Amino acid sequence: MKTTIPLIVAFLSGIVLIFAFFFNPDRVFIGAAQEVVLQWMTIISGFALVLGVVSILRVNSAKVKRREAGWHYKLATVISVLVMAIPAILPVSSKTFGGKIFYTVFPENSASLFGTGTGSIYDWLFNYVDSPMMETMFAMLAFYIASAAYRAFRARNAEATLLLLTATIVMMWRVPIGEAFLRLFSTQLPDYINMFLMNGFNVAVQRGIIIGAALGAAAMSLRIILGIERTYMGKG
Amino acid sequence: MTIWDKISAIDRRWIYLAMAISIFIPTIVVIRFPVEITVESRQLYDAVESLPDSSVVMLTFDYYPSTLAETEPMSIAALRQLFRKNMKVVTISHIPLGGPSIAERVTRQIAEEFGKVYGIDYVNLGYKANYVAVMHGLASSIEAIFPSDWSGTPLKEIPMMQTIKCYRDIKFIFSVSDNATIDYWISIVNAQYGVPVGGGVTAVSAPKMYSFVEAGQLTGLLGGMKGAAEYEKLVGVEGTATRGMDAQSLAHFLIIALVIIGNIGFFATKHRQG
Amino acid sequence: MEGLSFIEHFQLWLKAYLILSLFSFMYRDNPVYKMSEHIFAGLSAGYYVGLIWQTVIIQQLVNPMVDEGDWWLVFPGFLGILMFARMSRKYTWISRTSLAFVMGSTAGIYLIQTLHGLILPQTYSTIVSLDPSRGFAATLLSLIVVIGVISTLVYFYFSKEHKGFLGATARLGIWFIMISFGAHFGYTVMGRISLLIGRIQFLVYDWGGSIKQLF
Repeated sequence: MKTTIPLIVAFLSGIVLIFAFFFNPDRVFIGAAQEVVLQWMTIISGFALVLGVVSILRVNSAKVKRREAGWHYKLATVISVLVMAIPAILPVSSKTFGGKIFYTVFPENSASLFGTGTGSIYDWLFNYVDSPMMETMFAMLAFYIASAAYRAFRARNAEATLLLLTATIVMMWRVPIGEAFLRLFSTQLPDYINMFLMNGFNVAVQRGIIIGAALGAAAMSLRIILGIERTYMGKG
Repeated sequence: MTIWDKISAIDRRWIYLAMAISIFIPTIVVIRFPVEITVESRQLYDAVESLPDSSVVMLTFDYYPSTLAETEPMSIAALRQLFRKNMKVVTISHIPLGGPSIAERVTRQIAEEFGKVYGIDYVNLGYKANYVAVMHGLASSIEAIFPSDWSGTPLKEIPMMQTIKCYRDIKFIFSVSDNATIDYWISIVNAQYGVPVGGGVTAVSAPKMYSFVEAGQLTGLLGGMKGAAEYEKLVGVEGTATRGMDAQSLAHFLIIALVIIGNIGFFATKHRQG
Repeated sequence: MEGLSFIEHFQLWLKAYLILSLFSFMYRDNPVYKMSEHIFAGLSAGYYVGLIWQTVIIQQLVNPMVDEGDWWLVFPGFLGILMFARMSRKYTWISRTSLAFVMGSTAGIYLIQTLHGLILPQTYSTIVSLDPSRGFAATLLSLIVVIGVISTLVYFYFSKEHKGFLGATARLGIWFIMISFGAHFGYTVMGRISLLIGRIQFLVYDWGGSIKQLF
């Protein structure tokens, strides 16, 4: 029972979408079934995203309660989750059921601060606090790649030398000064790099990887639909 | 201790500082080397230009804030081209962290430049979870997946959406992406529903995309900040990508220099050790 | 930069502080960095809550049920709530049906997408491009692609030992792979540098503009 029903559900939901591909969705019943399955997928998947947040809150608040080392940082995380989330879930209109109650207590002109739209607390926190930090976190990778280029990028053997040479050529080709420099050797050199290196050697390998990975994904999909692959269900 | 041993043992923070300086100086002192247009960027630009005026184009904001420096200039240049041609723009995002907020901010900013009105000239659908399901779902009914736009207005109350019901009403998908979502725009929406897809992607994703361009599955490609700078040049409005290309040049040369010095040190030490 | 209001100055200075606080890690780990890092993690998690609340719960469930009478949406809503059973070790099995629905339907999409959208068109393009009538350069390019695709696939084929002809093809494959990965590395460098350029552009142009106006 604990596994049979999920296996049947996985089989049916998968098979509906496979059949829908072979029929005109406008004319056949399967089209309506497909629409329902797709709509349900978007709804159920949404809940899965929140699952992670609940987990973050649980882990961090437990650490705060136990006053573990660095607990004040964990407290900052918990407060940040709440500061971002609470204004976003408050009603944005007094016409809704929740809004009718909420706006008897709070002034109605404060509505623009709530929800997720332009001018809301949520939107402001995202644009001026969260987004700049995320941009910076990833910008720091430029420093690490410079350090790695200096310390780890070595021509240890023929294969590594080939990789290093190609990387250097591409780095030159992708910037204006480098491109101008390459044109000193031949005016068509940058075009040849694009044609043979990117559209030749690179395409060949990327295509090999795309086909190989797609074959693997197709096999895995079939295993899930047929109920052979069950690890996603966990134990118990 | 030889000079090479000393160079090898250099504190990594000096390298970080060199990297920061190599970007900081060209940001202040502008030289502006000319940006050459690649075939793939031209192909994308021409594909959009060849669409009849007032066509409906879907512009995707499938990127996280982390890659804004590369992707946002692409979206801005694309919006300028689309609004200049009086296209109807439908924006959408498959990114749960910031995607729809970025779409809202960027589109409103460029729409203001062109005097475009929300609901008449452009609509932001926002986000829904599970992108493969969303991409499939839009084929039969946009409203079934997006009953409302990002700000919660029901689609049936938005004038522009009265004639845009599914992919049949969309002439082109301009996907700006920093992750695998563009693969699905190509392999689901283009392959199964026949909507032409063009793409702007981060430099990290670009090499893979060449394979789709070569197969005719992707109509044109912008790769990273250079691709964005090329599109800015094609559209005729310089932006942050063009301004960043001088810094890009110097920083690339720094990396090449670091690779060379690192390798000379490696071989010198190896030779000495026998 | 036009005259900025107090709130605009504040926003620019707040952004600059956050950027510099994170960059301070490049010198060494410190409490200012740690605090910013934890706030970032919290806000990002909070963003998901607001997003799912508005786009899924309100727009896809509550509004259609209340305004349109689509009562049957209670079923996907219920399946979604069942997902939370994963938080309990004892009742985790309750979430399986919801998970199986998402996994099964996603697998259905992937099966068609991989075969019809990736394997067939990519293979077709590889074979069809081998057309000598397209001229010497195009044929040479196609030949490179065909040899490269086959040798790459052989390199990743581990069901048989790489010996003899298979071994030679796999060796050719690794040369192709190294060239492609080199190109990938070159592009990756550009990508990473671009992100830093974005930050420094903000500090120089935007924050610098604010500093200029204030002092």
